[in-house]
Amino acid sequence: MTLTIVSLLPSLQNTNGDAENAAVLAARARWAGLDAVVLPVERRGDLPARVDAIVLGSGDDSSLEAARAALGEFHDDLRTWGTEGVPILAVGTGWELLSWGVELRGERVVEGLGILPGRAVPRPSRMTGDLVVASSKFGTLVGFENHARDYVGAEGSPLGRVRAGSGNGRDSGQEGVVMGSVIGTHLHGPVLAKNPAFADALLGITAERAGLSYVPGERAAVVDGYSHAAREAQLAAARVAASAPDPLG
Amino acid sequence: MRAGFLRYGPAILVGRLVRFAARLRKPGGGSAMPGLIVNNVAPGYLKRTLSGFPQGLVVVSGSSGKSTTTKMLVAVLRAHGIDVFTNPSTANISQGLTSALLERADWLGRVPGDVAVLEMDEGHGALVMQGVDARVVALTNVMVDQIDRFHDSDMVAGMLARIAVQAHESVVVNADDAYLERLAVQLRSDVAVHRFGVSQDVLDASPRGLGYTETSPERLAVGTGVRVTSVDGAEAVLDDGGTSVSIGLPARGTHYAVDAAAAYSTARAVLGERFSSTTAARALSEIPAVFGRGERVAVRGQDVEFVLVQNPASYQLNVDSIAPGTEQILFAIGSDVRDPSYFWPTDASSLGRVSIVSGSKAAEAALMLAYDGVEIDRVEPDLGRALDDFLAAPAPASGVKTIVFSADSMRRTRAHLGLTGAE
Repeated sequence: MTLTIVSLLPSLQNTNGDAENAAVLAARARWAGLDAVVLPVERRGDLPARVDAIVLGSGDDSSLEAARAALGEFHDDLRTWGTEGVPILAVGTGWELLSWGVELRGERVVEGLGILPGRAVPRPSRMTGDLVVASSKFGTLVGFENHARDYVGAEGSPLGRVRAGSGNGRDSGQEGVVMGSVIGTHLHGPVLAKNPAFADALLGITAERAGLSYVPGERAAVVDGYSHAAREAQLAAARVAASAPDPLG
Repeated sequence: MRAGFLRYGPAILVGRLVRFAARLRKPGGGSAMPGLIVNNVAPGYLKRTLSGFPQGLVVVSGSSGKSTTTKMLVAVLRAHGIDVFTNPSTANISQGLTSALLERADWLGRVPGDVAVLEMDEGHGALVMQGVDARVVALTNVMVDQIDRFHDSDMVAGMLARIAVQAHESVVVNADDAYLERLAVQLRSDVAVHRFGVSQDVLDASPRGLGYTETSPERLAVGTGVRVTSVDGAEAVLDDGGTSVSIGLPARGTHYAVDAAAAYSTARAVLGERFSSTTAARALSEIPAVFGRGERVAVRGQDVEFVLVQNPASYQLNVDSIAPGTEQILFAIGSDVRDPSYFWPTDASSLGRVSIVSGSKAAEAALMLAYDGVEIDRVEPDLGRALDDFLAAPAPASGVKTIVFSADSMRRTRAHLGLTGAE
């Protein structure tokens, strides 16, 4: 069988290349000898009969309401996928739109889809830079953040603890939110390429749900050499020692 | 206004001494330091000088193409006999701009010239332009670029709008860019809007579009602006209100034709009745090839083609223009690309194989290429060593050695290989 990785609303939600995480999942699945395709889905009619994993990237603030309206069509599907354990990776504003709501300046609120707990709230200035997260499930996650809002209400089940950067902000020391296999994060861009252990964990779930087994392929080992070097460089830039144990566990 | 310049004498003197000292330290090199010091000693100098040219100030800004457009505009104006002051493209922020003015200033700080044409960084322009009176502002486009500086296209459009409102006579916009069209309709009614763009045929011939964040749904109608009606390699035809104007481009590519249309249209706005389309066409056609834009150079006995990638749009266009099957490619991304995430939506699979990936962001670049399905023979972060080894290898059986680089890697490559020439 062929694994179908859905890239949701790529025309609006790919500002930082986050939608490319769907291609990363498909490539790693193929390197492991599995059949996999990426299916861009802009409207509900494009949905295939079976969905194996979903990537929802980040968009511009000016298209936040348009993206909310477009996502509205998928409300029941997202809820079903979330309940069934289909992996969903939501990045930046894509994550915010899956929350309870997005608070904008001037008391405006964009109502979220309520798939993930918590809400996005304004921060004094935009946060950009390196973000390093210690995750008990996925190891040390390395990437970039670029967001205009903090995130509150994720305290019960964060993706991990912030080792460098801001993450959810408001002195929470936490980043992201996880509900089953639905994951929201500020780590933008090709987070799954940069963090192969994270990608492989999602692929493990995807394969298992499809009755397949996932073992990373030989090609992955070569490519992960590049990601290892890129991670080391960024960890050095963020002044986090890769091998140092997390002082807070 | 000239009499008032006496007060800048001491600051100019200090700036000159600093420039002299900087030259002793770094022979032949320019420096932003004199500008930094004059800006501190005489904060009004930049504003006053920029506003003081007899035929006014022309500003060119936008995400991409502003250097080429500025160069073309200056050439067209000079061909019309106008004495133009302009800034080198590396000096497009406040200190550099003041330093560039000082290069040409007399001891009172006065800069000769009928008109000033300035390339303005979209991020710094809004600040530099505060309180500066511009006659004409030309805007090229809004593209995704340097997301750690310009978070999204809304932010870039907002910064360009702040530059545009300083124009008191006219604003020249790319009509194919939806962000700029929205900006243009919000300008004061006494400011004229001039437009340039491409025909539907030219757009249709660009399978990946023109790279703008949002392309306007409609093309410019005949007679409503300067239109690019055909591009064939490094030749293009502009339509100026029914008159066909044939021009040569500094390199192949539709974006150069669009830059030429921008320069042509802006020159027309500046010169009014003095504008001659024949003179403009001749000046545009005589622009020398741009370094790092598909130009071929003999280095260490090897023919090498240089390809500069500056943002996702130019990356895609330039990667697409490399002949499939090109045997030897060096691919270098440097520290100018702080966060390469925004390059990921591009597709470099047509490269097939890259001999060496280099630059301070070599690992990030290799990761991106690998997920595009490109085979990588070697990753060598040390660009000097990568260049030496790449050039020492025997010439390819077919095609030429091709070096793809970001702006930072281009500067380092030029320094390492001792290449000089126009920026």
